Amino acid sequence: MLHVPVTGSSESAAGEGFLSVRGLNKRYGDFIAVDNLDLDLPKGELVAFLGPSGCGKTTSLRMIAGLVPATSGRIVVGGRDLTTVEPYRRDMGLVFQSYALFPHMSIAENVAFGLKMRKVGRAETEQRVREAISMVRLTGKESHRPAQLSGGQQQRVALARALVIRPSILLLDEPLSNLDAKLRDEMRNEIRDIQQRLGITAIFVTHDQAEALTMCDKVAVMNAGRLEQLGTPVELYEKPQSPFVASFIGRTNRFAAVAKNGAAELAGLSIPTPAGMTGKVEVMIRPHRITLSAPADGAPCHAVEGVVTRSIFAGDILQYEVVAHGATFLVEQGTAAHERPLEQGSPVRLHWLMSDTYVFGAAA
Amino acid sequence: MTAIAPTLEAAPARRVKIPLAVILLIPITLINLIGFVAPVINLLSFSFREVQATGAMTGGSSIASWVAIVTDPFYIELLVNSILTSLLIVVLTLVCSFPIALLLHRTTGFARTVLLFVVITPLLTSAVVRTYGWIALLLDGGVINSLLSLAGLPTLKLIFNSTGVVIGLTEILMPYMILSLLAGFRRLDPRVEEAALTLGANPFQTFWRIIVPLTLPGVALGSLLCFVLAVSSFITPKLLGGGRVFLLATEIYDQAMVTLNWPLASTLAIMILIVFGGALFLYLRALRAIA
Ligand SMILES: Nc1ncnc2c1ncn2[C@@H]1O[C@H](COP(=O)(O)OP(=O)(O)OP(=O)(O)O)[C@@H](O)[C@H]1O
Ligand SMILES: [Mg+2]
Repeated sequence: MLHVPVTGSSESAAGEGFLSVRGLNKRYGDFIAVDNLDLDLPKGELVAFLGPSGCGKTTSLRMIAGLVPATSGRIVVGGRDLTTVEPYRRDMGLVFQSYALFPHMSIAENVAFGLKMRKVGRAETEQRVREAISMVRLTGKESHRPAQLSGGQQQRVALARALVIRPSILLLDEPLSNLDAKLRDEMRNEIRDIQQRLGITAIFVTHDQAEALTMCDKVAVMNAGRLEQLGTPVELYEKPQSPFVASFIGRTNRFAAVAKNGAAELAGLSIPTPAGMTGKVEVMIRPHRITLSAPADGAPCHAVEGVVTRSIFAGDILQYEVVAHGATFLVEQGTAAHERPLEQGSPVRLHWLMSDTYVFGAAA
Repeated sequence: MTAIAPTLEAAPARRVKIPLAVILLIPITLINLIGFVAPVINLLSFSFREVQATGAMTGGSSIASWVAIVTDPFYIELLVNSILTSLLIVVLTLVCSFPIALLLHRTTGFARTVLLFVVITPLLTSAVVRTYGWIALLLDGGVINSLLSLAGLPTLKLIFNSTGVVIGLTEILMPYMILSLLAGFRRLDPRVEEAALTLGANPFQTFWRIIVPLTLPGVALGSLLCFVLAVSSFITPKLLGGGRVFLLATEIYDQAMVTLNWPLASTLAIMILIVFGGALFLYLRALRAIA
């Protein structure tokens, strides 16, 4: 048998890079779809690939699965170099953005296909297929054809088909994009649960940052073919390493400023900048980290006087637009029953912690 | 508005509503009645006419033609031979056309246009011309045998036997097969093949378990079409068979134009129709099995 199963226990200890991607590149002519991707995934972790449409998420996934040859770079799983290994010997489960079910097979046959290729015995196949189908809540649909199922049901078959082979690495290309909000939540938990229970190392491609932040151990933010930052949700949110990450994850105020002698001027304030930074910089502050009163503990903060120019009540939050010294701030406050929203024209004093102020060298 | 509403509502009740589909089917029904059903009825009646050795029909009726084709070993062999030869041609056409159709399906842009043009061009040339082309190639002193003897190999008997007919018809029918296959390849999605690969199927398994099943509707359609065309082809067997290959279509021509036995020719023509009916029945059965 050609297939070499990679079982959980026989692999190198958890920790450094079960999946290790080094300098992965993909070029289409002059166009660089994936630019020098480096990635290390410990065993059993779920990492999200998050980024705008066309940034190279699917292409990266397809290279890891072996469906498109990399222009250069290496892919190593559990110490085994898979760079030139055929896709059918990589033992990876891939859930396609377009499901890619076998239209001529029943749901049960679709799910059983990978086991058949692995020459798993009949009794075991039957049992694992039954389990996988019930896991994605499709019991009773075993003999249906894919065309007889809804988009969301097809997506779940694709998931069951990839999971049933217990792949060493599970690659999910927007597997929940066609589900309604409720089922999406359920499947999200289900995937997370299965992934943790079976200790599968998985990459989860998504457009939805809430999905990425809430369900994944780590998030890889991609932009224009490049990995901008790989980190835990908290790291990405609190320590963004680039203006792109800061503005892509969560909402943010962005101000252009000029750094001189270790400080940048913003709304009459002098914002300290990292050592050695000069010229144009971008200053970012999260709208909900701006408060209307000074922090009680006296932590070092910036403060500026301004006037409310717009006030929006959005149920759970209040959004103010405040103009201070010519700079426009978006400010978000949680609502409370006893509080009345500030009216347009009200004078306010904005405060935010120094540690909540991000300064980036502006992109050339 | 209230004034015209009652008339609008009443109108459909008074008129008999004919479904649009029925109206649209009228022209083709008329054409079929005149161009197909009437001649077939005519043929059927001819097949029961009595005929003299001179070819003159007496006006009396007879079942001699029907008795001949079900009892005379020559006609039984003719029928079996026609069907088997046509099946062989269908299989060869399919084997030769499948890779081309698959390549065509996967090619995009300008290359596809060129390839499609190459496939369709032979259809723009008459089968007679193409058959003469094959004669030039297959003749004892023709291109192929000249090359063989140049290479010091024994020459082959490639023409005026069923080999020649099979070679010629296979090539002539390939465009029809390729186009039918291509029409049936629409279900073939490259992502589906990739899914099979990631699930552990090697390219060989992917071909047999995914590609072939998904292309079966095209295969069935192409096979039916080419079988019908092969059984009814006349010029190519006539020219490449050199009068030594006996098939239904050529025999009908001989009976009608040479022997002047119109009743027997009519009977054989009805026989072809029955064969086609059988092929169509098998096709529909196959479609239901693979859908
Ligand atoms: N076969 C190809 N030939 C040329 N360019 C390609 C090819 N495949 C992908 N690309 C380009 O590579 C870039 C990355 O595509 P990819 O499918 O990886 O994006 P993505 O991040 O998955 O986007 P989405 O979120 O919309 O699915 C795109 O700009 C796309 O146009
Ligand atoms: Mg994609």
